[in-house]
Amino acid sequence: MKENNNIEIKEGIKLHLIKTDLFKTNLACVLITVPLKKEDVTCNALIPFLLRRGTENLKTQYEISETLENLYGSIFDCGVDKSGDNQVIKFYMDGINDKFLLSEEKLLNQDLSLLFELVFNPLLENGLFKSDFLEMEKNNLENVIKGKIDDKDSYAFNDCLEKMYNNEGFGLYKYGYLEDLNKITLEKITEAYFRLINNAKIDIFVSGDFDFKEVEDFIKNNENISKLQARKPDYIINNPLKENKNKTEKINEYKEKMNVTQGKLILGLNTLYTKENYKYVGLMYNAILGESANSKLFQNVREKAGLCYTAKSNFIKQKRNIFIKCGIEIPNYEKAVDLIKVQIDEMKDGQFTDEDVENAKTYIISGIKDIETEQDSEIVYYYGQEMSGTQEDLLEYIDKINKVGKEDIIEFAKNVEINTIYFLESKNS
Amino acid sequence: MQIIENDKIKEKVYIKKLQNGLTIMVIPKKGSQKKYIIWGVNYGSVDNHFMVNDEEFKVPDGIAHYLEHKMFEQRNGKNSLDVLTSLGVDANAYTTNNLTAYLFESTDNFYEALDEFMDYVQNPYYTDENVEKERGIIEQEIMMYDDYPEWAMYMNAMRLMYHNNPINIDIAGTKESIAKIDKENLYRVYNNFYVPENMAIVFCGDIDEKEIFEELEKRITMKSNSNDVKRIIADEPEEIVEKRKEINMDISMPIFTIAYKDKKYDDKDMVKRDLAVEIIMYIIIGKSSSLYRRLYEEGLIYSDFGFDYEFARNYSHVYIQGQSYEVEKVINEIKNEFDYFINQGISDKDFSRIKRKLYGDFVRAFNDVANIGNNFINKYFKGSNLFDYIEEFEALNKDYVEEVLKEVFKEEKKVVSIVNPIQNEEEK
Repeated sequence: MKENNNIEIKEGIKLHLIKTDLFKTNLACVLITVPLKKEDVTCNALIPFLLRRGTENLKTQYEISETLENLYGSIFDCGVDKSGDNQVIKFYMDGINDKFLLSEEKLLNQDLSLLFELVFNPLLENGLFKSDFLEMEKNNLENVIKGKIDDKDSYAFNDCLEKMYNNEGFGLYKYGYLEDLNKITLEKITEAYFRLINNAKIDIFVSGDFDFKEVEDFIKNNENISKLQARKPDYIINNPLKENKNKTEKINEYKEKMNVTQGKLILGLNTLYTKENYKYVGLMYNAILGESANSKLFQNVREKAGLCYTAKSNFIKQKRNIFIKCGIEIPNYEKAVDLIKVQIDEMKDGQFTDEDVENAKTYIISGIKDIETEQDSEIVYYYGQEMSGTQEDLLEYIDKINKVGKEDIIEFAKNVEINTIYFLESKNS
Repeated sequence: MQIIENDKIKEKVYIKKLQNGLTIMVIPKKGSQKKYIIWGVNYGSVDNHFMVNDEEFKVPDGIAHYLEHKMFEQRNGKNSLDVLTSLGVDANAYTTNNLTAYLFESTDNFYEALDEFMDYVQNPYYTDENVEKERGIIEQEIMMYDDYPEWAMYMNAMRLMYHNNPINIDIAGTKESIAKIDKENLYRVYNNFYVPENMAIVFCGDIDEKEIFEELEKRITMKSNSNDVKRIIADEPEEIVEKRKEINMDISMPIFTIAYKDKKYDDKDMVKRDLAVEIIMYIIIGKSSSLYRRLYEEGLIYSDFGFDYEFARNYSHVYIQGQSYEVEKVINEIKNEFDYFINQGISDKDFSRIKRKLYGDFVRAFNDVANIGNNFINKYFKGSNLFDYIEEFEALNKDYVEEVLKEVFKEEKKVVSIVNPIQNEEEK
C-alpha cells in the first residue's frame, strides 16, 4: 500500500505524507534548507545543539529525555547535512505506531507536538537563547569539529573534499570551523535562528500508517506550525548539469601525515558528461567501476591484487563527482594508484562486458526497490526529488536505469577525469 | 514445530528442529518487500581449542574470521559473493567472538539466490592458492581496525578482565597468527563445527511459513557429525587481571571504558540479568539520569554514554564507554553514583518509566527484517529469543534489578581502559 501526498502549508513550507504499513514505527522529520556559505555554516550547525537543550515548556534536556522515555522511548535526533550546495538542518522523531501500544493513546500526535515544540518553540530569555546553553554548546560543537580526526577514513575523505573545493560550497565541512565558532554571540545566533525559521525552506515529512486527513489537520492546527509565516525561501535547486566543471589541467596531489597504521587513499574524479540521462548513466558507470562486489575495483584491486580490504567508489550526482576510497599498506601507494588508473582507463576503452552492464542494472534496481523498505531512505529520496524540483517515482527511476546502454557508459567514461589524489599516511613514512 | 507469539506486538516465530539437528526459525512479515536470511554457526573467535574424538587441537587465532572470508570460494572457480551480487541481492557475512554468520537480503530473485547461498555454506573449497590469496586482504582489514581507537580500547578492556578466556584475542587475529592458517586447519574447523547440530537458519520476510520450511529443507544436504567434538574452555579465575590500561592515539579527546567482569555464563538466568542490567544503565547513567545531567552541565561530558552487557559461553561483563577531557573525574562520579543507588535503591517512578521505554524498544526491534534475523540468530546460541525477553520483561520486578545492581557493580571487578590523544609538539 503506497500513497504520497505533498501539501503546501504556506508558501515555502511543505508537508509530505508517506503512507506505509510496513513498519512498527512512524517517522517524522523537519528539514530546514539554506545555501551553504562559509560565513553561516558554523552558526547554522550550532542551532540544533541549542534547540535540543530546552523548549519553552520543557526547560531542560533532562525533562526532554524523561518525556521521550514516557512516550515509549520515542527517539529524537537532530543534526546537519549537505544536499549539493545546500546545508540541511535536520530534526527527527521516531515513535512506535499507535497500533502497538499497551493502552489506547495518540502517540503520533504527542510525538509530532514534541518535535515541533523542539524546533519552533525554543527556550528564550529576554528574546535571546540562554547564555549558559550557548557557552556549553559552543564547547560541544568545538569538540565535534576537533573530533574530525578521530575517524581516519572519513577524515581523509572530508579533507580531500575541502581541498578539491577550496573550502567553498559543497567542500565546506558540515559542522563548520573553529575560527567562526569563536565569533558567535548570543545576538548573532538568536538572529540566525529566527532567520531560518522565518525565511528558510521548510519541509516536514511524516511516514507511517495513519490517516492522512487527520495528520494533515493536526499539523496545520498545531500552534507552532500555524504561527509560521509564508516565505520565499532562498536555496539552490540541485541541477548537476548546470554545475560548472572545467577540464582538469593537472591532477592535484596531496599527502598528509597522521599517526595511522594503514594509508587512506582517496581519488576525487570529475565527470564532464552532460546529456539529460546523466544521473542514470553515472550510476551505472559507478556500479561497474567500484560500487558493488562485482566491480572492477573490488575484483582487481582487492580480490586479484590483494592490495586492500576496502576499495569502493561513490557517485555524488548533485556535484558530478566520483570518489574512490581505498585503505592500503603505505608503501603500496604507487602500485594502488596505478592499478586504480588502469581501471578508469579500461572503462574509457569499453573494457567491460554486457554481463557487467546487466549486473550493474540488477544491482542499482535492487537498491531502488530497497528505498521503500526503510522509512528514512524513503524520506531522503523524496526530499532529493523536492530539492531537484522533480517528481520521479521509483518505477520511472527503474525504467530510466533500464534504458542505459553500454555505449552511454563508454561515453560517460571518456568524460571522467581524475582531479585530486589524496593520501593520508603515517608520520613515520 | 514450536510457535511463539505476542498479541500486542503482533508477531510470531515458528521454530523447527530437523532430524539432522539443524534448527530453522521463521518470522513471517506480511507485506514486506524485503526478505532476509541468515545462517549462523555456533563458532567464533573464542573457539580456538578443542578435542575431536580423542585428539586435541589448537588452531591459530583469527581462524573463524579467515574461514568466513574463504567460504565464498567455489570449486567451479566462481565466487559466491559475485554470483549473489549479480542476482541483485545484498550478501554478506560476519564473525564475532562466538558466532559466524552468512546472510543475504533481497527484494527480487530470492530463490535463485537461496540456491547459491545454501550451496556455498554447505560446500567449502579451500586450496593452497586461494587461502594464500586472502592473506593480504585480511592483513589490511586488521590494519584498518588498528586505526579505530574504540576497538583498541575495547580489546584492552578485555585483556584487563580475562586471564585465559580467548575473548581477550582479536577476532581477526594478528598478522603473525593468520600466517599459520592453511587449508588443513580450515577444513578441520569446517568439518567439525559447520555441522547441522551446531547451526541455525533464520528467515524473515513475506513467504508463507509452510513454503519456506519446505524450500529450505529440500536444499539441505549436510549430515550430522559423526565425530565427537568438545570445546576446551580455559579455566578463568573470577578475579580481573589488572585494573587499568592507558594508550595514546591520534584522537581529539580522551575516550574511556569502564567494564565490570561478571560471574560466568549461566544459561537460565541470563535473559533476566541482561534486562536488569539494561534498566540499571538507563536509570543510573542514561540521558534522563541526574548523573548525566550533572556531568553535562559541568562540561565534563558532551554526549551520552554507550553501554552493553556482553555474554556468551563462559564470559559476561558490562561495559560503559564515554568521552571526556576529565576522565578521572567522570569515572569517579560514575562510581559514586553506583554506590548511591546500591545503597538507596531504585525509585518506582524511574523503574516504570524505563520499562515503558523498553517496551517501545521491543516493538521497534521488529521493524526491519535484517534486525529481526540478526537478533534471533544472536540470541539463539545463547539459548533464548526475543519473545523470551518480552516474557521475562513483563515479569521483571524492581527487587530483582536491585539485587543485580549489588552483584555486578563491584569495585574489585572493575577495569578501566583509556585512549588519550597524542600531545602535538605545536600545541605546547
